[in-house]
Amino acid sequence: MTIEIEVKNLNFYYTGNILVLKNINIPIYKNKITALIGPSGCGKTTLLRCFNRMHDLYPGNRYEGEILFQGKNILSKTVDLIELRAKIGMVFQKPTPFPMSIFDNIAYGLRLRNIKNKKELKERVEKALIEAALWDEVKDKLYSSAMGLSGGQQQRLCIARAIAVEPEVLLFDEPTSALDPISTGKIEDLIVQLKNKITIVIVTHNMQQAARISDYTAFMYLGELIEFGPTEKIFTNPDYKLTEDYITGRFG
Amino acid sequence: MNTKRKLINVVALTLCFLTALWGLFWLFFIIFDVLRHGILALTPSLLLKDPTPPGIPGGGLRHAIVGHLLITFCATLIGVPIGILGGTFLAEYGRGYKISKLISSLADIMISVPAIIVGAFVYAILVKPLGHFSGWAGSIALAIIMIPVIMRTTENMLSLIPWTLREAAFALGAPYYKVIIQIVYRGASTGILTGIILGVARVTGEAAPLLFTSFNNAYFSLNMNQPIASLTITIFQYAMGPYEDWHVQAWGASLIITSLILFLTLIGKSLIKRGFKD
Amino acid sequence: MTSSFKREIFFNLAYLIITFLASFIIIFLALGIFLVLFKEAYPAIKTFGFLGFLLSTEWDPVKEVFGAAPSLIGTLITSLLALTIAVPTALGIAIFINEVAPSFLKDFISTGIELLAAIPSIIYGMWGLFTLAPLMAKYIEPFLQETIGKLPLIGKLFEGTPLGIDLLTASVILSIMIIPFTASVARDSLALTPPVLKESAYAIGATKWEVIKDVMLPYSKLGIIGGIGLSLGRALGETMAVAFVLGNVNKIPTSLLEASTTVTVKLANEFTEADKDIHLASLFYLALLLFIMSFFILALAKLLFLKIERR
Repeated sequence: MTIEIEVKNLNFYYTGNILVLKNINIPIYKNKITALIGPSGCGKTTLLRCFNRMHDLYPGNRYEGEILFQGKNILSKTVDLIELRAKIGMVFQKPTPFPMSIFDNIAYGLRLRNIKNKKELKERVEKALIEAALWDEVKDKLYSSAMGLSGGQQQRLCIARAIAVEPEVLLFDEPTSALDPISTGKIEDLIVQLKNKITIVIVTHNMQQAARISDYTAFMYLGELIEFGPTEKIFTNPDYKLTEDYITGRFG
Repeated sequence: MNTKRKLINVVALTLCFLTALWGLFWLFFIIFDVLRHGILALTPSLLLKDPTPPGIPGGGLRHAIVGHLLITFCATLIGVPIGILGGTFLAEYGRGYKISKLISSLADIMISVPAIIVGAFVYAILVKPLGHFSGWAGSIALAIIMIPVIMRTTENMLSLIPWTLREAAFALGAPYYKVIIQIVYRGASTGILTGIILGVARVTGEAAPLLFTSFNNAYFSLNMNQPIASLTITIFQYAMGPYEDWHVQAWGASLIITSLILFLTLIGKSLIKRGFKD
Repeated sequence: MTSSFKREIFFNLAYLIITFLASFIIIFLALGIFLVLFKEAYPAIKTFGFLGFLLSTEWDPVKEVFGAAPSLIGTLITSLLALTIAVPTALGIAIFINEVAPSFLKDFISTGIELLAAIPSIIYGMWGLFTLAPLMAKYIEPFLQETIGKLPLIGKLFEGTPLGIDLLTASVILSIMIIPFTASVARDSLALTPPVLKESAYAIGATKWEVIKDVMLPYSKLGIIGGIGLSLGRALGETMAVAFVLGNVNKIPTSLLEASTTVTVKLANEFTEADKDIHLASLFYLALLLFIMSFFILALAKLLFLKIERR
């Protein structure tokens, strides 16, 4: 089993030197789904946003330690963030369609990578929409605004947009928390499908979701990684009482 | 390929930086110029003496300074109560009604309606029927410009007071007007004060609405029923006039009025900032 | 007990009525201005008609013939030229303050731009007359004539003797005046872009400029257009800033380096000197047209803002 991303001794500080991630060590395995769980404020989303250096958008944030992606430290100052984010995509909690047509939403990332050929664009948009299980629903209205789609469709559009640029890792930040159960089911199926091609890290509040779809689970608490292991083990036979208490719903 | 994108990024953001410099450049250019010319003109006699006959050097702008203060003061006396009361209706009794939404939108439009139109309007309803220009007409024109500004700020500031605060007072059996006067006004006092300051700052620099209302007067006068000189109209007259001495005094007047307004504006803005920190 | 209770009801009702009347003054003013201007302009409306007044280029107090075309055209040229200069600048400023500037510069620049908005228009006018106009006449206008002036067609706009008292100088001053308004509305509109939308553009590897251009600007388009409308409304009605540097020459301009007039400049210069009733009525007619024009544009801008609020 290959390690795609390896976090080593990671500390993370928000503006004003507030330590929010403490000495995190965790491997992310290639073509597996890793779930990050834990109560609100435990740092799971913060950790997720370290993988594509999203924190760099806001001044004053600071990393210590290493995150090795395919062997290279992505926390290094010399890393090209544009390239990094092309390889490590992200899907957010709320659907975030851009204010443009469905087609352009997906073509956007491709155009940034200088794919201008109309035929190629069309093919890759179609492929991404098919992979995101949205093609049949939107193929007749590709050029109408993406704002007109339902919440679940918008979220699948965002997944299509993220996979269109063929990333190697895809980060999901509670992707179904704003959706109804049926849409949630569709997106979970989609995520499981995707892992054949892409390594996936998902933050979720929903324990059942983590149990259903992930291969590995990391439990975090107050900025620390408490326990990491195969999902089955974490959910059936955790090493720590804290983990067990959280999973059985005794707090959180 | 990424290099090109990054280059475009840097170029575009640098251009944005340059536009900001361009904006600030004009600000400093104007302020510096007003200061440079104005400071030379700023003598005790400018403040304390009345003008000499045209073409004869010397004299000052006492008549215009006092006239300007008088007109603005009376405009404030008329504009502030109406503005605050109107804003109270929009935010309190009328809250949520279509009519207050309409008035509020209309007030927003009236804030930007050309000031010279207001001057023409007051000319038609006051100056023409009475047959003469007057300080009162000038004050009313300024008040008309001030009212929508203060009304909208008051409405916004009162709306910021949480509804639960009013409910708490209602629960004690207070009638609505007492809740407004004793609770809501008190909570929003800084905000309302800011609105008044910004409203006054706004009209202090107006010249266009005074052209056809308070007109001008070469002599010192406190009679609001007669034409009264104001700094802004005097600047217009002196700057367009042929005498070098007039130009110097116009710069002096500009410095007085600019520093007064920038001072008021800075106070207003800092009050807003402090208000949001609390 | 009951009497004090009744008194409270009475006071409350009284306060309700007083505040309502105070707010109603706005409607009274808006309608009142329209009706009064109409009534005062009526003799001119009757004499010259609508199109006759609008299209006539004559303005002759001696012959008592009046037409609005030159001043309306002057108003439109100065306002639109000012917008052309101001809008890109204001957008750049808004983007810089919101997205690029480090926090210590942010406050400094935004306060500076706000102060620029607070400077009274009469100061702009006088500064324009004594400082900018000579600079324009000596350096900028000759330079423009040497460069753009040599181009075919566009070159025609820069013909004539550069005196500094002309449409170009007036437009430049006007543009400096409206930059702060446009910039402030553009800032507010850009700031409405949800952070997560920006993040998702960054997350597929867009550069900052790409995020601004492809996500933020399209998202805040309506607000920015509203801001431009607001600035246009202001520019149309600005008086003192242009009155100093435009002359008051009643003819259709063929070059930007010509003295000209606007509705407001005409009003400022002639209103108190109009000794014939039809002259004054014609000035009121101009004022009425200006009021309708700016009211209409400001109302459209307001409608756009209301639409954004509902979103």
